[in-house]
Amino acid sequence: MRKLFTGLLATTTAMAFAGSALAADKILIANLADLTGPTASVSIPFTEGKKDAAAYINAHGGIAGMQIDLDTVDYGYKAPQAIGQYKKWKSAGVKVIQGWGTADTEALVGFVSRDHIPYYSASYSAHLQDPTGKSEHTKKAAPYNFFAGPSYSDGARAVIQWAAADAKEKGIAKPKFVFMGDNHPYPNAAKKAAESYAAEVGFEVGNNIVYSMKPGDFKAQCLSLKESGAQYAYLANTGGSGISLLKSCKSVGAETQFLTNVWGMDENVMKAAGTAADGVVFPMGAAAYGADVPGMKLVKEINAAGSNADHHAVHYMRGICSFYYMKEAMEWAAANGGMTGENIKKGMYQKKNWVPAGLEGVCPPGTWTAEDHRGHMNVYVYQANVKKDADPNASVSDLLKDGTIGMTKLFDAELPRKPEWLGL
Amino acid sequence: MAGYNMMRCGEFRTTYEKDTTIFPTPMSRNFAILGVILCIIAPLQIGDFSFISPAILTLMIQIGYMSIGALGLNILVGFTGQISLGHAAFFGFGAFASAWMNNDFAIPVFFSIPLAGVLTMAIGMIFGLPAARIKGLYLAIATLASQFILEDFFSRADWFTGGAAGALANPFELFGYVLSGDRKYYYVVLAYMVVMYIIAANLMRSRDGRAFVAVRDHYLSAEVMGINLTWYRVLSFGISSFYAGIAGALFAHYLEYVSVESFNLLLSIQFIGMIIIGGLGSVMGSLMGTAFMVLLPEVMQEAAGLITSTSWGNIAAITEGINFLKEMVIGASIVLFLIFEPDGLAHRWRMIKAYWKLYPFSY
Repeated sequence: MRKLFTGLLATTTAMAFAGSALAADKILIANLADLTGPTASVSIPFTEGKKDAAAYINAHGGIAGMQIDLDTVDYGYKAPQAIGQYKKWKSAGVKVIQGWGTADTEALVGFVSRDHIPYYSASYSAHLQDPTGKSEHTKKAAPYNFFAGPSYSDGARAVIQWAAADAKEKGIAKPKFVFMGDNHPYPNAAKKAAESYAAEVGFEVGNNIVYSMKPGDFKAQCLSLKESGAQYAYLANTGGSGISLLKSCKSVGAETQFLTNVWGMDENVMKAAGTAADGVVFPMGAAAYGADVPGMKLVKEINAAGSNADHHAVHYMRGICSFYYMKEAMEWAAANGGMTGENIKKGMYQKKNWVPAGLEGVCPPGTWTAEDHRGHMNVYVYQANVKKDADPNASVSDLLKDGTIGMTKLFDAELPRKPEWLGL
Repeated sequence: MAGYNMMRCGEFRTTYEKDTTIFPTPMSRNFAILGVILCIIAPLQIGDFSFISPAILTLMIQIGYMSIGALGLNILVGFTGQISLGHAAFFGFGAFASAWMNNDFAIPVFFSIPLAGVLTMAIGMIFGLPAARIKGLYLAIATLASQFILEDFFSRADWFTGGAAGALANPFELFGYVLSGDRKYYYVVLAYMVVMYIIAANLMRSRDGRAFVAVRDHYLSAEVMGINLTWYRVLSFGISSFYAGIAGALFAHYLEYVSVESFNLLLSIQFIGMIIIGGLGSVMGSLMGTAFMVLLPEVMQEAAGLITSTSWGNIAAITEGINFLKEMVIGASIVLFLIFEPDGLAHRWRMIKAYWKLYPFSY
């Protein structure tokens, strides 16, 4: 018995040492995801992009020779849980975090800047773009926060630009604009910017309408929208509740032109909402899967290294972009004094108008500086086309192939880098 | 089941003092002291060596503040026989109140935590007023209203809670000395826990505590004996809210961030789950039930990790479904617990003690 026990002890000790030796050439990257909460429908493809990217990078030598240990945790879109998880990660010695929602990212701003941990969020809230805290719109400086893509505010400005031109073309004398979204930090992030910009370009701005992030029956909200007489409405939630809203509004006969943000529209929304999603105008933060751009080759290789699916929703590409911007900054840090938080942050500032190597055409070129984290000021504005309600059993790639669903590019909005827009 | 103990043969209580003692035997007192000492030693770090990992430490802190909240609910449900489906809202009120007093009035956290308890007590007594007139399921629905009213208040009262964006809370501070980091904060929670548990154990030996039990066991007889039912029911709500407020404030300064999302109906139900699993009407049961409810998801997370790390478990069907599976197993284990252990963990603990006391002749 004693022999057995000693043997067991020796083996476990040996394994523990082997484990720690193994851990030394691994780098822990935290990945926060909402796989079961109200934003799961868009977080799942986004997270898949990051996971596949990590698998591909690991299969091709890792980051500066180190294998990635990607720790993906589902927090169900509950900000307090995310903070608890952050504390765990911090004590585990995490180098960099890939985050998710606005509420949790904004709540963590103070923590990550104190602990010098670069935080790549999937929240594109403009509050996260002010690294020095000089903007009057931000509560505190966010020197360690980055995200790849135009902010919610800039995305909203771009689609409102389109709406203003559209109203002019249609000869609407005094068009009306309504902002719709849940009372939650994420939809609220763009509210002020969208409403003030809409007023600036000549819209009458109606009372905003609240609808839940959790999909439900939104006929009451659609009736208020119809009564308000607004021709243009901006949807600030994610695709999941967007599907219910578009369908509810179609059934009450609201003839509104819907605009939405980067998380409001994708292939799955078009399939699920059917013709109710036809004509919705939205910004894109990266190329769609299968687009004819040079970087798509790498995206397909990344897909083959990981999930190996027929098709991925648009969020997948943005997940890859977020991961690759981080990867290049980490590589720069490793070559310039070690992979510390400060150096990774500096790595983001090294180039102008840069795209991660191999992803040309997939990720839009971005520029970050120590004073201004507005990486992307140009927004690609797209429109959803849905010919008919899809057969529920048909796959998204088939629907795209036969042209039942699709998206067309309307224009590239080039927004001015106005100092007063920083953080708004 | 309050005051119920397995007694040794030949142990007779000859005075009231002996009958109402906190610890029935010297052994049980020594064990309690030993437990506290172990809790004090546990997070110590000697050089690079530490008894417990940071992850376990966070769980112990979580058990600490949650168990204070659960104990509060147990005073209301287990001892006084009332019901509350709004305990999470009071827990949340304490959290916001402490952060608010500290942020807006610069009251040091050391004082803002007990003050938050007092404020929450006042709110709890107001929301407890319906208990004077209604009971049972009707009271449950009335307290459910308090949950929704307060939750709505949290998401609208920007001046108090920061609205939907939530409020930041400062770390614990004692006369200019900031206790940051889990290891230090652990002692704050432990100190509060010991004090709050001693208060509760003593409360049950007092006139008011016996009045609570009388109200629970037979309210008509209690009234005949001169117990003011309205006062004691509302007082019970007040004390329970005081505990919830303290627990919430400890939670706020631990997480350093408070959001309305934390305090939904689910948390209220979880509190009820904790005291039912731990044992209604048992002070120690509150702690055991909390530990069970806090550790169960962690154990399930570990198990899920083990399954997906094996070669047969790392397939799409399992990795994608494991999150849902985890939740289902947690639910199922609670149901099984209620079927096979209806008197709670406190009862099982007494059975174990009795077994060893009489070993090997346990019959």
